[in-house]
Amino acid sequence: MIRQFAEWLSQTSLSILIQTHNAWVIPTIQSIHIIAIGVVLTSVLMIDLRILGWAGHDQTLRETTDRFGPWLSWALLVLLVTGISMVIGEPVRALLSFSFWLKMFLVAVGTLIAAILQITLKSNEHHWEQTLVNRRSVRSLAILTLLIWVGIVILGRLIAYDYVWGSWSLKPTA
Amino acid sequence: MDITGFLASLESSNLATGIRDSFYVFPLIESLHVLGLTMVFGTMLIVDLRLLGIASIRRPFTRITSDIMKWTWASFIWTAATGVLMFITNASVYYHNFFFRTKIVLLALAGINVLIFELTSGRTVHRWHKDASAPLAGRTAAILSLVLWITIIVMGRWIGFTTSQSKAPLDRDINLDDLFTPPANDSGTPK
Repeated sequence: MIRQFAEWLSQTSLSILIQTHNAWVIPTIQSIHIIAIGVVLTSVLMIDLRILGWAGHDQTLRETTDRFGPWLSWALLVLLVTGISMVIGEPVRALLSFSFWLKMFLVAVGTLIAAILQITLKSNEHHWEQTLVNRRSVRSLAILTLLIWVGIVILGRLIAYDYVWGSWSLKPTA
Repeated sequence: MDITGFLASLESSNLATGIRDSFYVFPLIESLHVLGLTMVFGTMLIVDLRLLGIASIRRPFTRITSDIMKWTWASFIWTAATGVLMFITNASVYYHNFFFRTKIVLLALAGINVLIFELTSGRTVHRWHKDASAPLAGRTAAILSLVLWITIIVMGRWIGFTTSQSKAPLDRDINLDDLFTPPANDSGTPK
């Protein structure tokens, strides 16, 4: 079914428009996508380093998320728009790739964790600053979050090399 | 040894051959390269926006750099190392590629930019590090840095689209068509 959807999508006029100009459209979109990933990754890094106490000691956690949270959200939006454009432009490349779906799962988890942090921090600021940041479980979650985003970046590039997954890939095999 | 011979010897080195002979190593190295460069760019962006007085302005500049620059340098070394590993697998093609050459020149300019910053605004940092933005020389360096790094990323992406990646799978004795068929709209080389 995914294959049929990918094939249908590749016949839409928007997809054909991107395909016709793909010599510069695809690399341009990919470049913007990579730049936005840089913003997301370092925003998550700075927030997690603050939770771990490895950077930003002079600021509260709230000050740190106020600084990087909006950049994280806006960059995620840019990633969504450029990501959808790439899927429309090359549906088969993306939608039949194992890396793509594993990446989407991790993006959902990573975004959910970031959203929960933002919301609970605003309602329980004192509890977060005084207690939660010192908890081993929260610190472990900070490291896990960072690893999730690292995995997302790696999987994003691996979409171009889906054969590395062997039979896990949905791409046509001979 | 002339440059052609040097590039050929890089390509035929055990390391380059080993990378080419694996299905997995080049994609992994390229992924780790992207990981590194996003870290270099993202951390530089934080520093440059602080110099320009756009973000983190309530924190002293020196605080930001002491938090961040170690990550920038570590990521840069990581990215350069993975870049070298990719280069040697197909050295003569990359060497003659316009976008690769431009990228190397821009990297050199980015280095010179850092050097000039250190010799100008960097020398008087204790005088302005608590100000909302850096002196003119510092702000100029920040804008140049942003323009250079964004262009470097774009050039890097274009290298992938303009070099035929004659990596191991294609050099092997086995017939690739037995293993997988690339999508019809694909030129056969992963981008």
